[in-house]
Order: sequence, then C-alpha cells, then structure tokens
Amino acid sequence: MSKEHIKVLLAKKKIDVHGRGTKLIARELRDAGMEVVYFRFGVVEEIAEAALQEDVDVVGVSIMTSGQIQIARELIPALKARGLHEVLVIMGGIIPEVDYEPLQTLGVHRCFPPGLPGGAVAEYIKRNVGTVSLA
Amino acid sequence: MTQDVSSDTFESRKEEWEKRRARYADKLRPGKTLSGLPVKTLYTKEDVAGSDLDEMPGVYPFTRGLYPDGYALTPWMQQMVFGYGTIEETRQKMEMMVAEGMEGYFGHKVFNTVYDIPCMYGIDADHPEAAGNLGQCGVHMSTGDDYDELIRGWDLDSTNFSMITGDNCLPALALLAAAVERRGEPLAKMHGNSMNWYPRIAVQDVPSWEPKWGYALMIDLIKWAKENAPDWNPVNIFMYGISEAGATPVQELAYGLAWGKSIIDAGLAAGMAPDDFIGRLSFQIGCTVNLFEEVAKFRAHRRMWAKICKDAGVVKPSNMHARVHVHTSGYVLTQQQLMNNTGRITVQTLAAVLGGVASIHTCSYDEAVGVPTEESHRTALRTQQVLMWESGLREVADPLGGSYFVERLTDDVEAAAWEIYDEIEANGGYLRGIETGEIKRAIDNSSYELKKMINSGELPVVGVNRYVSDEKENYEPFRVDESIEEKAKARLDAYRARRDDAAVKAALDNVRVACEALKSGDGSLMPALVDAARAGATNGEMMVPMREAFGWFVSE
Repeated sequence: MSKEHIKVLLAKKKIDVHGRGTKLIARELRDAGMEVVYFRFGVVEEIAEAALQEDVDVVGVSIMTSGQIQIARELIPALKARGLHEVLVIMGGIIPEVDYEPLQTLGVHRCFPPGLPGGAVAEYIKRNVGTVSLA
Repeated sequence: MTQDVSSDTFESRKEEWEKRRARYADKLRPGKTLSGLPVKTLYTKEDVAGSDLDEMPGVYPFTRGLYPDGYALTPWMQQMVFGYGTIEETRQKMEMMVAEGMEGYFGHKVFNTVYDIPCMYGIDADHPEAAGNLGQCGVHMSTGDDYDELIRGWDLDSTNFSMITGDNCLPALALLAAAVERRGEPLAKMHGNSMNWYPRIAVQDVPSWEPKWGYALMIDLIKWAKENAPDWNPVNIFMYGISEAGATPVQELAYGLAWGKSIIDAGLAAGMAPDDFIGRLSFQIGCTVNLFEEVAKFRAHRRMWAKICKDAGVVKPSNMHARVHVHTSGYVLTQQQLMNNTGRITVQTLAAVLGGVASIHTCSYDEAVGVPTEESHRTALRTQQVLMWESGLREVADPLGGSYFVERLTDDVEAAAWEIYDEIEANGGYLRGIETGEIKRAIDNSSYELKKMINSGELPVVGVNRYVSDEKENYEPFRVDESIEEKAKARLDAYRARRDDAAVKAALDNVRVACEALKSGDGSLMPALVDAARAGATNGEMMVPMREAFGWFVSE
C-alpha cells in the first residue's frame, strides 16, 4: 500500500552514544520524501507518548549500545495502550541477527543491520506502512 | 627487447617510463585518498623536492616518531578496551588480559576500562533510565566498593588505569583517589588517564554540559591532577570520536588539533604555564583501512602538534610529544560476512604501527554485532601480538620514512589539515565551533557524502556493495545476562546501607557550593568531589548537583 505522506519517529536513547547511523538514516528517509522526527528518549514510555503526540506512521528505534530486547518488550504494549495499533515498528543498528526473531515475536515488524543503503529501509516502509497491525 | 639501456640518468629513465605507459595512461582512473587528496600512480624524487628529508626520530618535530629507536626499546602499549557487568565480572577479565600478555611500556599493566552508558551519563543502577543498559557495553562502577575492587592488589607504580568515562569524568577520578587513599597510598602514585573529553560533544550526539562550563570542568581536573597526581594523564583528545562521527582523516586531524589547541588556550587563560600541563595532554585517534593516508596522518599529526606546542611556548621537547593511542575504526567493520573484519583490523593495526603510534586498541571482528566474545577479543589482542613478534615491524624506526609517496602524502595531509585548522582558529577556535554547530555540520556532511559513495558503489566495501551474499550469519554474540541489573542494584544497596547518610548529604551540599564557586571563578570542584567520595557518595549522586549547576547542552 502506498501512502502520500509518511511520518517517522526515529528514536534513540538519550544516554546512547555514536549517533552517526541514526542521523544518516534520518537524512536518507528524508531523501525518500518522508517526514522524520528525531527523538531522544529517557524511558521507553516516552517513545509511545511521542508517537501518539506526533501522530506518526512509523516508529524506528536506533540501537548502538544495547537494550533492544528490553525496549521492544516495553514499547509494543505501550504503543497498544495508547491505541496505536497500526503503527509500523522497526529497529536498526548494532543488533545481533539472532535477536531479529525474538524481537519479531515481541511485535517489532522488521530489524535492519547497520550500513545498509537508506533506500532499502525507505522501500520497506513504503511497502508496509498502513498494512500492519500490532495486535 | 630493444629498450635503450645505455643511459641511466633519472631524466632518461623517466622518459622511458612515460613511453611505456603512453598507450593506456589516459585511461587510468585518477586515484584519491579517503579524504579526497589526489594520488598518482608513481612518486619520485621530484615529488619530495619540497620535503624535509633530514628529520630524525626522537627529535623535533617528531614526524618520524617520538623515540630515537622507535619500538626497538619497548613495543607499543597493547591497550585493549574492555569492561562489562559489575566490577566482579570486569575484575576477572582484567586478570585474564594480564595472563594473555596485554601490557604497556616496559611490562607495565594497562587497563583501558570502559564504563557502561548509565555511568558515563551519570546515573546509578536504580535510575529508571538505566534499564536495559546496565553493565552491557561497559562496566557499571559507581561506589567506593567498586573502585576498591578495581585497584585491589595491583601495584600502583606499575599499573595504568585508563578510565573511559563520559560526563562522570571528575566523579570517577574522585572515586579512584578515595580508593587509593583507603589503601593507604599517596595520590601521587596514581597512574593512568582521565578521558576529560568534553569537547566530543561537538561531534557526538550526547547531552552534556554547556560549553563554557564543560571547559571549566576540564581545566579543574587538569589542575587537580597537576597538584595531586602529577603522573596522571588528565586529558584524552578524542579524535576517534571525530572520525567515527564521519570526519575524513584530514578533518579528523584538523579538528583534533584544534580541540587540543582549545585546551591549551583554556589552560593558559587559567594561569598555567605551558610546560606545566601541555606535555600531559594525549590523543586517541581512529584508523581506517586506507593504509597510506593513515600512516601519513599519524606522521603529520606528530609534526603539527609539536609545532602548535612550540608556538604556545612549550620549551621542553618531550612536552611537545603527541602521545597517541589508536582505536582502530569500528565504523569500517561490517555485519555482513563478519569474519572479513579480521582482514580489515589487521590492515588498520598495520597502519597504526607503521605510523609509529604509542598505544593500540584493536577492535574485535564481531563488534558490528555487539560486545566481543572472549575469543574474538583475544584474537584482536593476538593480531597486535603477531605484528609485534612475527612481522619484523618493531626492528626499524619509521620504516616508511623516505618513501617518496609517504613523505609527499605526509606533507599533503599536513597542508590540507592546516587549511581547515587555520580557518577554525580564525573563526574563534574549537570552543566556538561547538557553540555554532559548525564542526558538527561539516562532519555530518562528510559522513553523508561517504555513505552516498558506499551506496553508489563508488567506494567499494566488500560484502556490502561488492561480493554480496544473502547467506545468514546467525552469529551468536557475547551476552551480558540481564540479571546483572539486579546484581548492580544489590551492590549499590549494600554500599548505601553501610555509610553515614548525614555525612554523604553534607558532602554533597559542599559539592553544590563548590560547583557555584567554580562557576564564579573563585574555587575548584575536584577537592569537594574527593571529599564526597571519601564520605561515600556514588557516581550518580555526585552528578546531581553538577547537572543542576552546569546545565544541559544537546547538540544535534
């Protein structure tokens, strides 16, 4: 399904370091015509709250220094609790490939390795936004 | 077959060379370094006509190395970054690294210990924002107990504690000092390194102090160390952070030197004499796979820093030494076809050694996935040790010195870096570059350009845009069990239960007063932090009044 205007909340933990990958993805998604809100969070609830307030179609979480499982475990219920059942949730960065499946079981729709051309992420978003459910 | 071999002058040989390549020379794609400096297919004595080929290692301006015989007297320091879990886990790792032969100059022990991000930021284990990150990408150390265990049994005269901290740099040093005192030893026996790298916020997206207070805190630590622990290295100029954020090697060099110059300026403004503190500044530099440009960068770096120090009024030659620790670039490692990274790391380490640096951390091949396993971490250390003992690299100082290409590239890298450096200096220096965001914008743009070159295939990256495979790696990385969070909290609770809460509160009130005194320019903070550490305050507790006083600056 294609959507005219896609809004992405790109979240990175406030205390996380090395923001290069996150900023590159932000720029590459903008190149693909999306609106990107770059957001640094303290606790996971804040991501869900920002997603609600910003009325985004996609929540992307960037990981550098671990915490992906804990974030996913809290993020998906927090989004659902705010009625955000249709939001597309993706993760990327320094995440072991063997975590992709557990993360998907927790409700994350897709994980991306570091260093991919941003176009690959944008293409995935365009293809899947509005077609998914967190239920 | 009919080649004319009668004439052996340079000119006639050059003519012959041109003749032999005439057929295809136009079709050769012009080469360039990672920074975009042009590279020719051949260098001759004509290319070094303007170079100073009379330099000697161990002699100003130190292009050929800091020491007259290079690594022959003692090899480079193997300073592997490590640290995870609580100090209990990290202590075991310290002992294992010593057993594996990791050592510094003349057999000294070197512990390059990285803190977890909650500690770096300044929150204790029970803070809600620490969840998910405790002990994961570094060790969680916040109490006096933790620091007692860090130094237990190690001989302070021959052990270096390099503490990879963040904003908690001052509290961490205070906690270490209090632990040394509890052991009944003088602070003057402390050896090691504080990062004190506040200026990294110009390039790294971490919330930190407001710029002017960031510099005041740096200088406070430098002064305290000078008076109390004169062998302590109080500053690490974190050029690695600059290149990992996306700077080219030339930009890394220029911005790194400008960073160093900004500390010199701040120190002089605070009333210190050049020879009293400049010689204690040191560097941490990145190293990509682009071998020759990296070698040229390390050579040019020593020369440029020596000149900057001399211009600043340093008299003693050893105080003009650019002492360099290399951290091989993590950005160049790929998650795709993970084992390929061993090849990259070997080339990166080779570049650092040929560049004559003082100390090396080699990344592990699996760092693109997570924290290294015991095996990958050992292999990274062994990579250094293979180069150290099997390659013959140690025998000769500056083995590439005199190479037409390397000498010329050293000069070219230097000239290109001075150009950027001079512009920053003319515009108010590095500190102003933080405030305006100018440095970050330049580096973000470089990062984006590089990524576009990788996306388009113009810059080959094996496994990413060349020789791509769909095969899954399914690599099982090192895991720090989540139960570490409970363990860290339990250690914190046990520590708090034993201390005198009223004394801690009083000491933290004094920290608050000292913060204000530092801000008004008539007092120092470190002594109050050491007192607070003596009284039992934790890393996170000391950071609360500091956050209140020195504010917030988020640069992104």
